[in-house]
Amino acid sequence: MSDNQERYHLDKLIGFVGDDPAAVQNMVRIFLQTTPELLEAINESFKQKYAENMAKAAHSLKPTLDVFGIDSLHDVIRTIEKKARAEELDNELFELINELNTVLECVFKSLKLNYL
Amino acid sequence: MDAFRIFIVEDDLLYGEMLRHHLALNPDNEVYLYRNGEECLKNMYREPNMVSLDYSLPDMSGLDIMRRIKKDFPDIPVIIVSGQEDISTAVTLLREGAYDYFVKDDDVKDRLWNVIKKIRENLQLRSEISYLKEEIGRKYEFRNVIKGNSPSIKQIFSLIEKSIKTNISVSITGETGTGKELVAKAIHYNSKRAKKPFVAINVSAIPKDLIESEMFGHEKGSFTGAVTRKIGKFEQAQGGTIFLDEIAEMDLSMQTKLLRVLQERELTRVGGNDLIKIDVRLIVATNLVLSDEVKKGKFREDLYYRLLGLPIELPPLRYRGNDIILLAKHFVDEFCHENKMKKLSITESAQQKMMQYPFPGNVRELRAIIELAAVLTDSDKIDESHISFNAVDATENLLMEENTLAEYTRKIISYYLQKHNNNVLLVAKKLDIGKSTIYRMIKEKQIIL
Repeated sequence: MSDNQERYHLDKLIGFVGDDPAAVQNMVRIFLQTTPELLEAINESFKQKYAENMAKAAHSLKPTLDVFGIDSLHDVIRTIEKKARAEELDNELFELINELNTVLECVFKSLKLNYL
Repeated sequence: MDAFRIFIVEDDLLYGEMLRHHLALNPDNEVYLYRNGEECLKNMYREPNMVSLDYSLPDMSGLDIMRRIKKDFPDIPVIIVSGQEDISTAVTLLREGAYDYFVKDDDVKDRLWNVIKKIRENLQLRSEISYLKEEIGRKYEFRNVIKGNSPSIKQIFSLIEKSIKTNISVSITGETGTGKELVAKAIHYNSKRAKKPFVAINVSAIPKDLIESEMFGHEKGSFTGAVTRKIGKFEQAQGGTIFLDEIAEMDLSMQTKLLRVLQERELTRVGGNDLIKIDVRLIVATNLVLSDEVKKGKFREDLYYRLLGLPIELPPLRYRGNDIILLAKHFVDEFCHENKMKKLSITESAQQKMMQYPFPGNVRELRAIIELAAVLTDSDKIDESHISFNAVDATENLLMEENTLAEYTRKIISYYLQKHNNNVLLVAKKLDIGKSTIYRMIKEKQIIL
């Protein structure tokens, strides 16, 4: 099984925009532009212990990850948001953020390779 | 239908673009994407047909934006799309006027698609209703409804014109068939209240023990048979006009209740406690002389003065001279058009015959006579033989007119000639007058055989 098959699928995205390669490519481009910013916001908020910001960024990232079929992060992003809202900036949260970074780095690479 | 304008207010660029692309798949949709509340509010001048609002925006909450939209554009449906399910937020938003509340899940695109379909259908219905209301307005444009050139009818036009400019109560009097309800409708549909309901009640047609509930409504269980709450005619007419026909038939106890409602501009449903504010224009009609009813003690004087407002007295048809012919021609044209018949003309003799008749049933009777004549004729003309007054005995009404003796003489001779197959000798004998008198009147066309 290749990386992209494991990390994401675009069924939901295609369901939204239709089977239109140009539209899919445009959405991928926006994803690659906006998701790293949100990821950076989560990382930075953890460093700064700024829970409210982290919760906002995680909240925004949630539907994006769902649409890009990144199923392995479905529970991860929700737990991050929940813990951030509860201001539980603990080791478990650190591990979850690491996982988020790892998976998304792989997804970014695959998407760039396949769509840009 | 014009393009359906949709505003998407979404700070998540990816999600917003996806929604925009998805909704724009329907070429009838014109989709605008805004990243924050301020941008959306600045563009409201475009008058969108629907706004899809993200609940958590960077500059203000979805609830705040919705309130500001609803303040200036209460009819624009606002859909709230939220990243998380929160029942209490959803309830608050729906209470505040949100059209629907969605969570950003897998179904959101289908739900949006369906909600747009529903809103479009509602808009279509609204536009049809508005078109029909305008059509009714055109139908009741008073010069289309009330035909005539006589001085007495011109005076009526002038009074109607005055009445449509204000909210003054109007009291219409006139014999049966003179068109009291038509005048009431013409006033309503040409007034500022035209887009609100016109509700008519015939007071004489409602049993006395039901009239209060009919007019003011009742609460469930307020009396035997009140199985559900009923909204009365006054509430149904809210913002519009209520027409109380045959007002003189209202009993004294109901008159007292009506007076209170008119004074206070509020009512209480039968069996209820709540005071309901009422904004209706009142038009009343009667074929009796209300001031006489006051003198007889059958009508409250205080209510009489409150109802009087602008009095419009509709003239009987027999006093409207040539309007009889004008109306007859109008009715025959209308009848032929409605029944897809070829056009019919009315002969001179038929016209004269009508001019000699007093029309106790007024315009309503004239219409019936003309429609029957149009059916009876086998040619493209209506002549005097098709004009039948059999439904009413003309002699009974003869004295209602204030004619000269010569005119009465002419009418009596005409009546006898008609009755006795134009047998001049027989008529002369029966009336004990000389036959030469009759022949002379025929020769001078005072009498048409």
